[in-house]
Amino acid sequence: MSSREKILSTLRAAPRPFADMALAPESYLPMVPLEDLSPSTLVERFVVEAEKLAAVVHQTASPSAAIETILEILDGDQSIISWDAETISLPNVMDTLAAAGVRIAEADDPSVRVGLSGATAALAATGSLVLASDTGQYRNASLLPPVHIAIVTTSQIMPDFESWIAEQRANQLERFRRSSNIVLISGPSKTADIAMELILGMHGPGELHVVLVEDNDFDFRIAMSSE
Amino acid sequence: MQVQSNNFIRASEIAVNNSEQRNAVVTGTGTAYQKRLAAMFATSKEHGEAMRQQAAAAKRRALNKLPDLPDLLEQAEAKMQENGIQVLWAIDNAEANQHVLDIAQEHNVQSVVKSKSMVTEEIGLNHVMEKHGIEVVETDLGEYILQLNDEPPSHIVTPVIHKSKNSIRTIFTDKIEMPHTDDAKEMAQYARGKLREAFLAADMGISGGNFIIAETGTVCLVTNEGNARMVTSLPRVHVAVVGIEKLVETVEDYATLTQVLPRSATGQTLTVYTHMVNGPRRAHENDGPDHVYVILVDNGRSRIYGTDYAESLACIRCGACLNACPVYQSTGGHAYGWVYPGPIGAVVTPLLVGPENAKPLPHASSLCGTCKQVCPVDIDIPRMLLDLRSDLVDQGKSEAQWTIGIKAWAWANRSPNRFALSGKMAALGSRLIPTKNLPGPLSGWTKHRDFPEFAPKPFRELWKERKRSGN
Repeated sequence: MSSREKILSTLRAAPRPFADMALAPESYLPMVPLEDLSPSTLVERFVVEAEKLAAVVHQTASPSAAIETILEILDGDQSIISWDAETISLPNVMDTLAAAGVRIAEADDPSVRVGLSGATAALAATGSLVLASDTGQYRNASLLPPVHIAIVTTSQIMPDFESWIAEQRANQLERFRRSSNIVLISGPSKTADIAMELILGMHGPGELHVVLVEDNDFDFRIAMSSE
Repeated sequence: MQVQSNNFIRASEIAVNNSEQRNAVVTGTGTAYQKRLAAMFATSKEHGEAMRQQAAAAKRRALNKLPDLPDLLEQAEAKMQENGIQVLWAIDNAEANQHVLDIAQEHNVQSVVKSKSMVTEEIGLNHVMEKHGIEVVETDLGEYILQLNDEPPSHIVTPVIHKSKNSIRTIFTDKIEMPHTDDAKEMAQYARGKLREAFLAADMGISGGNFIIAETGTVCLVTNEGNARMVTSLPRVHVAVVGIEKLVETVEDYATLTQVLPRSATGQTLTVYTHMVNGPRRAHENDGPDHVYVILVDNGRSRIYGTDYAESLACIRCGACLNACPVYQSTGGHAYGWVYPGPIGAVVTPLLVGPENAKPLPHASSLCGTCKQVCPVDIDIPRMLLDLRSDLVDQGKSEAQWTIGIKAWAWANRSPNRFALSGKMAALGSRLIPTKNLPGPLSGWTKHRDFPEFAPKPFRELWKERKRSGN
């Protein structure tokens, strides 16, 4: 008998524990109950929560202001690790960066200081980013360099992880399973292993910049696809 | 890892006198305890308690309800295979380690990076790999410090909680030639540089798994440093070693548990990185490992499943019970003599390694009940500690002084006359003999505290007198 069969048959032969357990609830209580789900409140909450986690949130009023912010963070750096242009919800970002002399490095180049990514979604209740792996969305951009810039549009902000999960359930978890790797990022990398002292940037980026682009009135992604 | 749990009493005596360690553990656990309180009850006491019950139900359903644990294991296996993950089963340590070795050999692996995993400590994986000439580097900062110093972790979440900054500095200067510094940030940066080299050179990454979602075949991890993201992304092979009790049924159950876990462990709303691994790099993706393996480890868990201790399989390893335990705070984790310390360790160690190899552990508790109160999945640890004590007596495996004491107590209480007599004798006896330095088996008590004098008159006498006087 294989170990697989031995384990399964031992379990099947045993009396079931917790015989009085109820079935799964129809609806789950969220970890962070939010009362006001209006877009402007969600944006506010996201900014507050992300900043609590030591992320730096740059609220920008226009795409050109967003690109200006990215160039300021780059502070003269001539190369970045980046997601492909078409996966980032900010029109012309790559062209503008290229015009400013910034080139895209290999995704595993250890000398690069800044990584640039978009996001799949953002979560107001916890100030988190959701990054689900996909074509042109390199994991390394948010992992290897000491600085990570994530471009997020305000319409991408959802209430919480539970609502993101509900969205996955709504399409039978197909989108969820298509990504080999999904990560929620809540603030910069950190450790407290040395005598409980908080240290940022242990392995992942120690600086996390969220460049938040206002698009609740104007969907840049539609504008991009019609270009 | 070798089991030294029967040495608990001697080891804890040494530990409580190590003031540097004790200060570090008291500070570390105290901070975590306070942060947990704030995080779990951030909304309200009632909401925190409701979340706790929701989490507790999610874990128990995974063990019992249809689909029950064996069904869920089969479902998870099928879904993981659909995702391109190769699933292996291991009935014990030896088989689990052999699987990892076989995978390493098949892919011609020379060097391995690991993220923190208690189950790989349990099976003693690192030593086996090293014996076969494969270099293994622990990449969680705490685990790396311990690996350099050849020490086991002393806490399941914060493995190096027992060390002061000075001790860590000494390890770094002695073992990896760190230039002298008093700055924790500089120490971490130095380690970061060393570990980055290891990440970029590694052929294989090994992780544990905090949860496996059965309906999607997803291995879920939580980390703050980012090392587990690297371990699961950079090397061409990723192996996740996961206990069979880590299954949850649905993504909704997972959403509850992965948020309750960090709140209970460190008081964070979420860990910095909460990740879900659905398999190797997909054809349409640009990066990620080419091969992902999951090793489902039994190692005694299926034996616990049908017993009164099944509740222990619901544990999500948050460490809240360690942080809240007055015994753990005094002794630290090493005294427990195996991988899992603290209240939950005192339960699972005897269950996994055999009660005769961990006789003192069920007694390493004052039964104050705080461990149950702080448990995010409401595990009744005190109840199981009592049952384990009673099992030891039933099986005649208890320590001699416990057995003699309990037998004497049972004899004295078998008749009302003997009970009355024993009260009088105790009152008299405690006045005749010294309260310090009792002889023989009683010396264990008076070594650290005075033996209290019994009341001069037992309650029974007082009651009789009261009734006689008509009050």
